[in-house]
Amino acid sequence: MHFIQPQKHTRRAFLRRSGQLALAGSALPFALNLAAIGEAAAFTATDYKALVCVFLTGGNDHANTVVSYDQASYNQYAGIRSALALSRSSLTPTVLTPSLPLANGLQYALHPAMTDVARLFNTGKAATLLNVGPLVVPITKAQYNSTDRNRFPLPPKLFSHNDQQSTWQSSSAEGSTVGWGGNLGDLALSSNSASLFTCISASGNAVFLSGDEALQYQVSTNGAVPVFAAQGFLYGSSAASNAVRTLITQNRSDVLENEYNRITARSITAETQVSAALSGVSLSTAFPANNSLASQLRIVARLIAGRNGLGAKRQVFFVSLGGFDTHDVLLTQHQTLMSRLSSAISAFDASMVELGISDKVTLFTASDFGRTLTPNTGGTDHGWGSHHFVVGGAVKGRAFYGTPPPVSVGDTSAPEDQWHVGQGRLLPSTSVDQYGATLAKWFGVAQSELSQIFPNVNRFGGSVGAINYPLDLGFLA
Amino acid sequence: MQASAFESVAGAVVDNATPSSVATHLEKHGNLSRPNSLAMPAVIASALALASCGGGDESGTPVAFSDFSKAQNKPDLLDKSEHRLAAPAGARIPDATAFLNWAENQFPQFFPGPQPNIDRPTFVFRAYPTGNFIAVASQDIYVLGVITQDNLVRIGTLDDFACFVYPESCQAGGTGITDNDAARFLLQAQFSASLEETAAVRQMGYAAWLDQAMNVPTGITGADWLRVNGYNAISRETQFYDRMDLGDYMVWNQLMTAPDAVRKRAALALSEYFVVAIQGVDNVEQWLVNFGMARYWDILSANAFGSFRRLLEEITLSAVMGVYLNTKGNQKEDASGRQPDENYAREVMQLFTIGLRQLNLDGTEKRDAAGNPIDTYTQSDVSNLARVFTGYDLDQRQNPFDQRVLVVQDQNRRISNQTPALLPMQFFPERHSTLAASFLGTTVPANTEGPQALAIALDTLANHPNVGPFFGKQMIQRLVTSNPSPAYVARVATVFNNNGSGVRGDLRAVFRAILLDEEARNPNGTTQSGFGKLREPIVRFVQWGRTFADLATRERWRAFERSSSADGLAQSPLRSPSVFNFFRPGYVPPSTALAASRSVAPEFQIVNESSVSGYLNHMMVFVSDGVYMRTTNASNPTGEFVPSDFFNVPASYSSELPLATNSAALVDRLGLLLCAGRLSASTKQLMVNALNVTAVTASSNDSQKLTQVHRAVYMVMACPEYLVQK
Repeated sequence: MHFIQPQKHTRRAFLRRSGQLALAGSALPFALNLAAIGEAAAFTATDYKALVCVFLTGGNDHANTVVSYDQASYNQYAGIRSALALSRSSLTPTVLTPSLPLANGLQYALHPAMTDVARLFNTGKAATLLNVGPLVVPITKAQYNSTDRNRFPLPPKLFSHNDQQSTWQSSSAEGSTVGWGGNLGDLALSSNSASLFTCISASGNAVFLSGDEALQYQVSTNGAVPVFAAQGFLYGSSAASNAVRTLITQNRSDVLENEYNRITARSITAETQVSAALSGVSLSTAFPANNSLASQLRIVARLIAGRNGLGAKRQVFFVSLGGFDTHDVLLTQHQTLMSRLSSAISAFDASMVELGISDKVTLFTASDFGRTLTPNTGGTDHGWGSHHFVVGGAVKGRAFYGTPPPVSVGDTSAPEDQWHVGQGRLLPSTSVDQYGATLAKWFGVAQSELSQIFPNVNRFGGSVGAINYPLDLGFLA
Repeated sequence: MQASAFESVAGAVVDNATPSSVATHLEKHGNLSRPNSLAMPAVIASALALASCGGGDESGTPVAFSDFSKAQNKPDLLDKSEHRLAAPAGARIPDATAFLNWAENQFPQFFPGPQPNIDRPTFVFRAYPTGNFIAVASQDIYVLGVITQDNLVRIGTLDDFACFVYPESCQAGGTGITDNDAARFLLQAQFSASLEETAAVRQMGYAAWLDQAMNVPTGITGADWLRVNGYNAISRETQFYDRMDLGDYMVWNQLMTAPDAVRKRAALALSEYFVVAIQGVDNVEQWLVNFGMARYWDILSANAFGSFRRLLEEITLSAVMGVYLNTKGNQKEDASGRQPDENYAREVMQLFTIGLRQLNLDGTEKRDAAGNPIDTYTQSDVSNLARVFTGYDLDQRQNPFDQRVLVVQDQNRRISNQTPALLPMQFFPERHSTLAASFLGTTVPANTEGPQALAIALDTLANHPNVGPFFGKQMIQRLVTSNPSPAYVARVATVFNNNGSGVRGDLRAVFRAILLDEEARNPNGTTQSGFGKLREPIVRFVQWGRTFADLATRERWRAFERSSSADGLAQSPLRSPSVFNFFRPGYVPPSTALAASRSVAPEFQIVNESSVSGYLNHMMVFVSDGVYMRTTNASNPTGEFVPSDFFNVPASYSSELPLATNSAALVDRLGLLLCAGRLSASTKQLMVNALNVTAVTASSNDSQKLTQVHRAVYMVMACPEYLVQK
């Protein structure tokens, strides 16, 4: 039995039945506005809001990102991590000071390179989510170990990079074609005068941004890339340039050719709009150099600055930073990554403040999975649950959300061993569906629409054992 | 045509009408439309003399046409006669009009067209101002006039010219292979096609050609190429040990110049399956990159037509794989709680051998009784298998520390030699886990020697029933089509399982089965929407180089990486962004008709609004300017941009230049060589019309002709009929 069944998404099912998906898929090669063919959009925005997904590709080592700091927990952590443990003294400058302290004296600090994000947390602009990961239903360790997958279903293909990236982004494994960022875009299409600019990636292709109708639009860190050969002259010949333009944009009967040309046609049409929208943008916030995430966030900030030129009221962005698969040299590599992540997020936050829309833009992190707490020779292995950040003026910051997982790798029936599935791989106590639904609600999605975007969200909303699984995690105002 | 008109020109000396001019003309233009093996020029039997009037009746019909029985037979007037024997049964036979059009096209000096057919009750003829006539009576063809010294000559029958008029339908050598078929096959089997190669395929047939191509001796290896070019020198001036671009030079050179192109094409496909990335190795051991990646490439190339099991072992123990997926330095569990690194154990199963789900022979997923797919392994299998891959590290025995070259005194920086990058990793028993390891139903007993444990593990993986369909389907996707039928996958997997002689994992047999399969060869695929694949950018670039630049030029190239989407190819060999390759075999492009039909299109994973434009911009520079490169041994090896260090080496287009004055012929040639004749008539017309706006003539200078060629090449390489390979 499949517990994640995209075909049960009523919205998708409706669209497929009505044949409109096929229409969206093939018959509108140049359309920048597909909203007209959809169902009535769920909301009509008059203000501006944007979500920015920062994907940490490879599976972030959460335990060295949000580090146990109170003495008892730190001792546990250091004992297990041994040579890979960060020193407690190095963590002092980045200790998080939530306005409401955690129970039992628990404390966390961020990686020492994350001074900027620690500052954002401690000044109320950022919050930390503890132990989030893909879940189909709330599940205990005993249920995880059960062989009754019908009663206790698991997300597909756990611990596999590509599949867990896809699951985070789209609720199902590789091959999925619709992500929840894209579905948010579907509902926002009618709010935007040029719907192509609803879902924008400054990274590569990500299923996260593809909706039933919404398309992922891709920009480079310098903006849209023009096709020079189609701009009037090809090696001195305007006739050849015109011919090229026809060849690369015309409808084709072969499906592969046609889909390729649709993208090229879209690229050419959109480039003029994007370039025009960006031409008037001035953004003085400095973004760090030699930091690909910062470069991506910079173009996102510039596009947001040019939102009026793009006719956008609701946007979903995707950026990413790679290199997190730290099987080896965790300490040195993670240091670099944490520094880049922190400084890029900080610059982005500053740019939103500069634009005066900080409370309209929420940045959040995601990753393939967390990692083992137990080290191997120089790094850690693939895990499941992980810790994440939400940043922005709308975030109810200086707070933790979710349940702190015990620091333990034992294989006993003791309570502290119930939140990992071996070597400290966290069994998530908050699902990605809850995380996404909280963001979606803020974005404007009605409660009734949530289950059409997050297929398992209605399996949450109560409590199981001692753990709460609220539908709204509460981190956004 | 009036007799008087005939008379007015009949006595003129036709300057071009020498026997050699016929031959020359055929050589220059004839070989596009006919198989090469038949491209021997015509010989006109006798010298020309001033022709006397051929005479004519009142309607302009030569008198000699009143009695064809008086004709002399001269079958070699327009061509050698041997080809006529090769015209097979079933070839398309031209009618009189088709033949006459062909004759005008091929011999405009003698038969400048177009001229109308003049119908007579028993024959049809055309008359030319050059003083020549051709008549077709029933099936027989007659020539009269200046070139026959006014003798009525019978040159043969319409059948005899079938192979010339309709080369596509002519079954040369009995293989039934057309030029387009041959080019299509070549473009699947290797990177590029030449007229010599299409002729060879037509003559030999697919299987025989492939067999000899697979046996073409390998040229210089990647590692030797680095050495021969002095890139093994350890000096502070060149700092080759810190250069990141030498591995790129090496692999582009291999792809662009190697004589064994079929092997190298397979190696490229393997490099996108057994992925190691230059920049992923670079993060850890920079000096290892160049020679280590060369060695890795050489392993893929050497084993491409060898044994899967042996290849699996060689890549497992290779230095760069050790670095990339962490077998290098991987240690056994210890009392502190440290565990073996699981990276290689996981990815060798998920990506290199069996995949995540149990498969049927045809590549479809098996289902349990409840209809659910069945996982191939659990986390426990990964953790256990990881023990087998402990105890390995670089082999430094030929690289003692005190013999390393001290290059930076104050930092005590010593540079290793290259041997550790070239050797298999060394086994260190004391670091190896001696615990029992149970995975996939096999148990390596406790205290098994490391090499023996490795053999058990790799045997278990290589013998898993998933490997044939899992590996075979992906190789089909790389070379032929994104969505092979289950039957095609099953046929290839069957060959993987048994090459016919009881050998499992014979990659020569597997690649043979892929390329010779009915589904790959059936011309129906060329017109079937969705068949084929997007030609990947690396292959486009290599095809361009191999098609248009001579070997000496290509050997000079030192090509950089092309990974950038915005101003590169969005892909560069041995530069995958992760072990999951540039694109996944199961990638379904969202928001497309492909998604609606659940078809995969892996190469579309690197297609987006930036990369489509990036490719077009990239090729605009390369088509005209060639490969932009830096001088070797630049004195500024890792530092800033110095314009004087850079220069372009362009492609010569030597075979295309003579066609610059003939847009249709130029586009035809490019269409055949670049995309196996897939350009539609309307596309060709669009291109020809555009080219004719800036038409060049024989008297145009070389630069103008070259620019015209650049336009044509670019238009073809930009158009979707080229980009999608069927």
